Amino acid sequence: MIRIWRAFVALVDRREPAEGLALFRIAIGLVMIYSIASMVVAGLDRVFWVDAADGGMQALRGDHWLLAALGGPTAAVIGALVPVGLVLGALVAVGAGGRLTLLAAAQVYAAIVRANPTIIGGYDHLITNALWLLFLGGATATLSVDSRLRSGRWRRPGAMIAAWPRYLAVFQLIVVYTTTGLNKLGVPWTPAGDFSALYWVYQEPTWRRFDMTFSAEPFPYFVLQVATAVTWFWEVSAVLLLLFFYFRATPGGSGRLRALALRWDFRLGFVAVGVALHVGILLTLNVGPFSWVSLAYYLCFFHPDELAAWGRRRGLTARPSP
Amino acid sequence: MSTLRRRLVGAWPHLRALFVGYHLLAVVVLSLPTAGAMTSDSMWRSANFKADIAGYAGALGSLGVEMTPEELTQRLRGAAFSFAGIRTAIAWPFDRYARLVGARQGWAMFASPQRHPAELNVEIKVDGAWRTIYRPHDESADWRGETMRHNRVRKYAGRFARGFIPKNYDELASWLATEASVDHPEATAVRVRLYRYRSLPPEKVRAGERPAGHYERVRTFDAAELRP
Repeated sequence: MIRIWRAFVALVDRREPAEGLALFRIAIGLVMIYSIASMVVAGLDRVFWVDAADGGMQALRGDHWLLAALGGPTAAVIGALVPVGLVLGALVAVGAGGRLTLLAAAQVYAAIVRANPTIIGGYDHLITNALWLLFLGGATATLSVDSRLRSGRWRRPGAMIAAWPRYLAVFQLIVVYTTTGLNKLGVPWTPAGDFSALYWVYQEPTWRRFDMTFSAEPFPYFVLQVATAVTWFWEVSAVLLLLFFYFRATPGGSGRLRALALRWDFRLGFVAVGVALHVGILLTLNVGPFSWVSLAYYLCFFHPDELAAWGRRRGLTARPSP
Repeated sequence: MSTLRRRLVGAWPHLRALFVGYHLLAVVVLSLPTAGAMTSDSMWRSANFKADIAGYAGALGSLGVEMTPEELTQRLRGAAFSFAGIRTAIAWPFDRYARLVGARQGWAMFASPQRHPAELNVEIKVDGAWRTIYRPHDESADWRGETMRHNRVRKYAGRFARGFIPKNYDELASWLATEASVDHPEATAVRVRLYRYRSLPPEKVRAGERPAGHYERVRTFDAAELRP
């Protein structure tokens, strides 16, 4: 037990280049702006987030401490929080204001969306979870206004931060997929339901972008059956990535599975299926920023050195000076 | 360096690891389905859920385990209530933390695809005749289409098929009627209702059938009374 604890303490003690979490921060800031701005552009911010007594659609109380402290979801409070949320989203993306900005962004975003819990989506949770992890990690060390102000450079290749916030982001996404898969208990996700779940999703009007009647034809239907089975299997097996990471972190051990994990980068296969799934969702369903925020988390699957190497191969980043 | 400070510095890696461990546990425990989600009466009564139960009862029957959908429902309901009690008990050490820092969980996305949709329809009465001004995916009835296609409106309206909450529906109907009466000064009345049907299996769609349903939850408003 003591050995396991020491290994865990050592894992949490690891440090790594700050670029990885910085890229995650930029992506999350942009998603936060998109999430709030899309409501403003559609004229729905004052409809859904403001109490009926003040011109909104529903009788609302909100369930966030900041909202309660400000007096509830009144037109004045939401009228102030929404632009503040947009500004904070921009500050998160450009990396200005250090941890204070990240913490404020998390709380203000949560206060805005929790004004009306009826319309909260999984992506809202993913955004606030990400902002909390970015706060814990101090994600403005590089690729940021903060870096520019401190060192005169936008990018500080030598900046190091704790690695565990990135690990927690990966863990969060693994839990999301695994529990989403385990929650898929409807018969259409199973062989008893003919793996027809995605067909039914496309038949109902709520989320689809356009008419999907063609999905009843034999070939599209077969493709959707395969996609249903792959989606379910891929989601519930996400938890196996933890085993993969464990084997990669302990290469000295024995066993066939470890040897396989050391030989093949299963993570890339998982990411490839995930990207395909989210692009498919983006093209055919309107579920807001869900796919965007999920893909933002994918950045955390890679060590910052891997991302930098990828960027160099494509001429996006310069080789760091020795 | 004082003794206390030295001790704190020495303990810091362990304290940090404790916090990370606590966060990991919070994420896992809170991702379990909530008591509300498992024991909701509207979920147990919904057509979708009943269809799932019937499907599972049929699958069990083909494996030689004879059980009626009602019996299976009883058993599952008992298990769900027991699990909900356990979930509530083990989640309390993490609830406040998750609420405070925004690390809430809950990931039941497309858990059981909707096979009994309820399409929101908005109609206005002009010269004594009803005219549909909004219906999902109908270009000829696309009033406030951009707004109605926003994902949060879709989420809100889509819920009426799964678990109907009269307060939420009445608030939406009232808002839609007010906006429609302003946008259509020629209207004398506004009607909001749901068109409920069962989605068709692929073979029926291929045969050219269209889903046939019925209107429900009709709310009618006097347009003149709604205008400011």
